[in-house]
Amino acid sequence: MPRIGTDEWVEQQELRTEYYTGLTAPARRAFDRVGPGPRFFAFLAICAAFPFLTDSPFLIRVGVNVLLFALLALGLNIVVGWAGLLDLGYIAFYGFGAYMYAWVSSSQFDVHLPTELAIPLVVTASALLGLLLGLPSWRLVGDYLAITTLFFAQIFVELALNLDRINLPWRDQPLDLTGGPNGIPGLDPMRILTIDFLQTRDYFFLLLVVFALVVVGLYYVNESRTGRGWRASREDPLAAELMTTPVNRLKLLAFAMGAAIAGLTGSIFAAVQTGVFPQNFEVTLLIMIYAALILGGAGSISGAVLGAVIVASVPEILRTPENARLLFYAALVAVLVATVRPWQRLAAVAAATVVFGVAVHELVSLAWPAGDEGASAGGSLGWLLDSWILVPAEHQDTIGNVGFVLMVAGLLALTVLGGDRRLVVLVPTIYLAAFVWENRLIAQPSVTRQLLFGALLVAMMTRRPHGLLGTPRVENPI
Amino acid sequence: MAALLELRTLSKSFGGLLCIDHLDLRVGEGEIVSVIGPNGAGKTTLFNLITGVYEPDGGEIVFDGRNIVGLEPHRITNLGIARTFQTLRLFLNMTVKENVTAATYGKTKARVWQSALRTPFARREEREVDALAEEKLAFFGTRLAGYRMQQPAYSLSYANRRRLEIARATGTSPRLLLLDEPAAGMNPVETHEMTELIGRLRREGGYTILVIEHDMHVVEGISDRVVALDHGVKIAEGTFDQVATDPRVVEAYLGVKATREEPEGP
Amino acid sequence: MDFFVQQLVNGVTLGSVYALIALGYSMVYGILKLLNFAHGEVYMMGAFIGYFVLTALGGASSPVLPVAPLLVLMFLAGMLGAGLLGVVIERFAYRPLRNAPRIAPLISAIGVSFFLQASALLLFSAQFRTYDTPQLIPFSTGIEAGPLRISLVRMLVIGSAIVLMVALTLLVSRTRLGKAMRAVSYDREAAAMMGIDVDRVIVATFFIGSVLAGAAGVMVGLVFERVFHFMGFIAGLKGFTAAVIGGIGNIPGAMLGGLLIGLAEAFSASYISSTFQNLIVFGILIVIMLVRPSGLLGSPALTKV
Repeated sequence: MPRIGTDEWVEQQELRTEYYTGLTAPARRAFDRVGPGPRFFAFLAICAAFPFLTDSPFLIRVGVNVLLFALLALGLNIVVGWAGLLDLGYIAFYGFGAYMYAWVSSSQFDVHLPTELAIPLVVTASALLGLLLGLPSWRLVGDYLAITTLFFAQIFVELALNLDRINLPWRDQPLDLTGGPNGIPGLDPMRILTIDFLQTRDYFFLLLVVFALVVVGLYYVNESRTGRGWRASREDPLAAELMTTPVNRLKLLAFAMGAAIAGLTGSIFAAVQTGVFPQNFEVTLLIMIYAALILGGAGSISGAVLGAVIVASVPEILRTPENARLLFYAALVAVLVATVRPWQRLAAVAAATVVFGVAVHELVSLAWPAGDEGASAGGSLGWLLDSWILVPAEHQDTIGNVGFVLMVAGLLALTVLGGDRRLVVLVPTIYLAAFVWENRLIAQPSVTRQLLFGALLVAMMTRRPHGLLGTPRVENPI
Repeated sequence: MAALLELRTLSKSFGGLLCIDHLDLRVGEGEIVSVIGPNGAGKTTLFNLITGVYEPDGGEIVFDGRNIVGLEPHRITNLGIARTFQTLRLFLNMTVKENVTAATYGKTKARVWQSALRTPFARREEREVDALAEEKLAFFGTRLAGYRMQQPAYSLSYANRRRLEIARATGTSPRLLLLDEPAAGMNPVETHEMTELIGRLRREGGYTILVIEHDMHVVEGISDRVVALDHGVKIAEGTFDQVATDPRVVEAYLGVKATREEPEGP
Repeated sequence: MDFFVQQLVNGVTLGSVYALIALGYSMVYGILKLLNFAHGEVYMMGAFIGYFVLTALGGASSPVLPVAPLLVLMFLAGMLGAGLLGVVIERFAYRPLRNAPRIAPLISAIGVSFFLQASALLLFSAQFRTYDTPQLIPFSTGIEAGPLRISLVRMLVIGSAIVLMVALTLLVSRTRLGKAMRAVSYDREAAAMMGIDVDRVIVATFFIGSVLAGAAGVMVGLVFERVFHFMGFIAGLKGFTAAVIGGIGNIPGAMLGGLLIGLAEAFSASYISSTFQNLIVFGILIVIMLVRPSGLLGSPALTKV
């Protein structure tokens, strides 16, 4: 109950300022004190230094992917986060931009426009397409708009796959517009003013510049009348309209701006991989972009960027088993440290887990020697794990699968149990997780990535539905 | 007195049910006119027709000498008619100040590219909008101004939300304010405050006001003229005392032919 | 003519499967206003459970049971398994998000969908499984009337889909649970204040919707004979589309939508170009959405100003 004469906001004032607790609190408060400008420049500086810290083409490529993702998430944020329109056709603009760039910079039609001309052309065309596909938003709302725009995304992929043999009456040969399933290879590299973009590293810097411009521009737009208009129409379209906001026009503007950014990103993507292929623009990618945005916090620029960094980079770490293993155990320990308190209890859990593992290990070795004769883990943690985790030599997959199902059951149980019972379940679940990891998951990185990604989304949404950097919202009770 | 708003034989029906039936109404510049009537009399529908949410089946709505029937709502508001909502439709997740600045969209002109580049024009306009919002909120004193300006609207109390609705409407720089039950759900002290506020809105703000209200003390306290509606038909018009003692008004409220001094809100 | 009838039967078979999936989407949406993106995966798991029951009982070539009880057992196991899975998903992925912004449960659902797909890949591997139905019930058995031939399997699928839909309609319109479901979907808070246990109603809705998806999974296994980890995605998308076309939240609408999409697919594939089959279907859907913005049988939402 609020004190008499005090409204809820005043009541919670202390809560808000004293929100941060624990060891990291001073650092987080300091972070808050630094304004958005310096924070952004620090981020840019780190990004700009990145290519000088590594020679690995793979890492540079990951960096390029992160920036591509960030740009896509920023564009989507305009439509979804600010204007509040569920646009599932967003991926079509990305694809359109890429194909459009291919048409004007390859031997497909033997058109090789200079990049300074090609990019404005692509951006303008994408924005116009955005205006067109945004029109249904005048009539459709919510999920109905979502499904209709999803049809557009599907139509785009279908067109890309099938527009390779168009028979036109005034042509002898069928027209090949998209190259069908084979796409359009051999695009011209970009060349802006006198700079040739030859390596992935060059594109990284180009993307970084584009990213910086887009972020600054969007930040200012968000603070302007346009940004307020979007947010107002999202909150209550009718009230916004009656407060002089031309809601329909702003919806189209959001679609067009999102599409322009997606188209621009698409053209750079096409140039980076020197080709465009239909499978680059499927719904899975759309879901990843949505996940990045929501994970980071829809409506927040820094949230969109953070989400993109996570979604585009973390799965890459899982590619090599050695890194994946380190990451897994580090994450396991981090989660335990973050969730089990006080430290005495944490120590007890850790000790119990070790004892539990060793005991299981010994018992199984006695009862069924084949139970631990599989290939040993090896690597930097191998000596530690060998006497703790069972690696069966026979039926490894089946036992691993049973372990997986049990582990999922244990994890689910952990979310509902409280008190001591939780601790009792926790120890075997940790062990099972490690067991399943060593026996099944580490050998199948792509499956593991998908599993973890799915679990991460669910865990994230049930804990922080507004995303990492988003602001909690109240829904309008209309 | 020149008529700022004039309705001529305005009609609107929903599915065969006549909600507004050949209604004539004049609101003079600087007047405060109250619309009363039992629930379902068509009062809110009247506001929806004036502001362009619904299009009338027949009749004219003339504002400042111009027929505004068929214009989009945001254009009508931009011409100078702003309203509040009976059911409170604030932008809850935006701050108090932003609720007011959002209402200045129609009066500002910066293009998206100007905002994105922060041109001097866009910056100047932002400063003006900011000052305007602070001025409009200052009208409500500490209820909305000061530290409350940076609060999200959802943190406001019910009475303050009603005040913010009015503040937001004044953010569009209107000439005519349509207030839909501004004192609904308020306690006696707050109701009294609202009565004074509406008086100040005309005196200091210079607005012409058309108000729907159920609380007869408020109606008595503010109105130059009272219009009573029942089933979409104007059944009485005049000073508060004339309308309040009109037998047809009493009948509409109480459902029987009764002679009481003062009708009570339902 | 007989080609036309054959396509009609094809379309109806496909359509009844889509309709069953669409019903689950629509019921959950009606109650929670949530697009349960994981629904397609529930259907996939139903198909796998049917497959494993069949395999455990000797497989299609040498079943240890007569065909009829075997089929009943497969259906029951598939439906029950899917139903329980649906309940677990609701409990852990959606319930904590009851009052969160609308998009949060949607993302959680996508997470569940990813997780289940990957789990299927991990547990059952990427290989295609087949029910091998012709070994069980030869496709040649069935009715033949002149040029018209309908195989027994198809009749079985269409028949059981109709039975399930009739049962659902009766459940929603006649029982106490059905009344509670309608009340909760109309106004959850008011229903809770009238003494309805909202949580139980929601769990029941998820269970029933998932049971239907499980049945659809077994049916697809029987007719189209291919079961694999990715099958839920496309089928889920089509079921979702069917639900929206019919007017999401509306039960007869979901049935109609499913049937329409099944028929549109069968006919556009055989009569018009197979290259542009999907394009045509999507084009029709967009037009339907623009003409009837809340679906064919959906009623436009009332907005009070």
